[in-house]
Amino acid sequence: MLDTSMKVLVVNDMSTMRRIVKNVLKQIGYSDIAEAENGQDALTKLKAGGFGLVVSDWNMPVMPGIELLRNVRGDANLKSLPFLMVTAEAQKENIIEAVQAGVSNYVVKPFTAEALQEKLEKIFAKK
Amino acid sequence: MLVDRGFEDTNEPVTEEPDQSIYDELGELTKYVEMMTRTIGEMEIPVASTSDQLPDATAHLGELAKITEEGTHKVMTITEDMTENRERLKTLVQNMAGASPEDLVKHITTITMMLDADEARITNITVALGFQDIVAQRVAKLVTVLEEVQHKLLKLVVVFGLQHKKGQPKKEGRGYEMLHQLEASKKTALKQDFVDDVLAEFGFN
Repeated sequence: MLDTSMKVLVVNDMSTMRRIVKNVLKQIGYSDIAEAENGQDALTKLKAGGFGLVVSDWNMPVMPGIELLRNVRGDANLKSLPFLMVTAEAQKENIIEAVQAGVSNYVVKPFTAEALQEKLEKIFAKK
Repeated sequence: MLVDRGFEDTNEPVTEEPDQSIYDELGELTKYVEMMTRTIGEMEIPVASTSDQLPDATAHLGELAKITEEGTHKVMTITEDMTENRERLKTLVQNMAGASPEDLVKHITTITMMLDADEARITNITVALGFQDIVAQRVAKLVTVLEEVQHKLLKLVVVFGLQHKKGQPKKEGRGYEMLHQLEASKKTALKQDFVDDVLAEFGFN
């Protein structure tokens, strides 16, 4: 059972995609959802604290998702934060790079609400 | 034999009468230069129009991103309204149990109005999805422009005999990287199963 009371940060440069992910998360049961336009913006918000989950795209200007992930894992206060990559990048080298950087799970776009929920359940089942 | 008479003390001939073949070669060279000048002049128009077309095409592509974004937001706003409506309907139906006959009539009237509103929203979604048609039309036009530019560039390559020296052309730069990603995404799109298989190799269940 997912703890949907936690605060989630949705990171994507496309406002439409942020809205889609937010709606799917709401459908799953999350209500405390914040947004960031890129990795840098996300990092600033994450450092302010209070987040229990990051759902991030890979390709973004300023700071891509993979760099955000490395920054999160390199930060003593954020290193154990669950990080779900939601991206169109489905090449093996991308997935391996994300795994090596410490991704918690990986969803390919376009995705279904069920797929997202399943991945989130797997992330929190491990914790 | 021509001898420079200005230098009486020189026994060596300074200039010899040029061979006819040099005149022939110079003549050929002049013709070639003339031809190339003419060709360059002819190429000026396609090159100029190509350099005009590419920035236009880029601007149109940017516009496409805006159209799809606006269209998607429109559809999402309507679906969000429908979701809220559905929640209200659920509450109304739950309240119908145990309601008085007068209240039941009121509830039924309200529910009918809400369902009608949803029907209008469904129509609006269909209409809003029309952005796909606008996008498809613009993409078709852009493809035509790009084909034309490609044709002109090929003409330049042929006219000026540009060719790769040896081996494969260098595949580098941001553009090539993006193209590589686009090509790869054709093969891997919609492949969550593939991702899951790779993740499983790393112990993700």
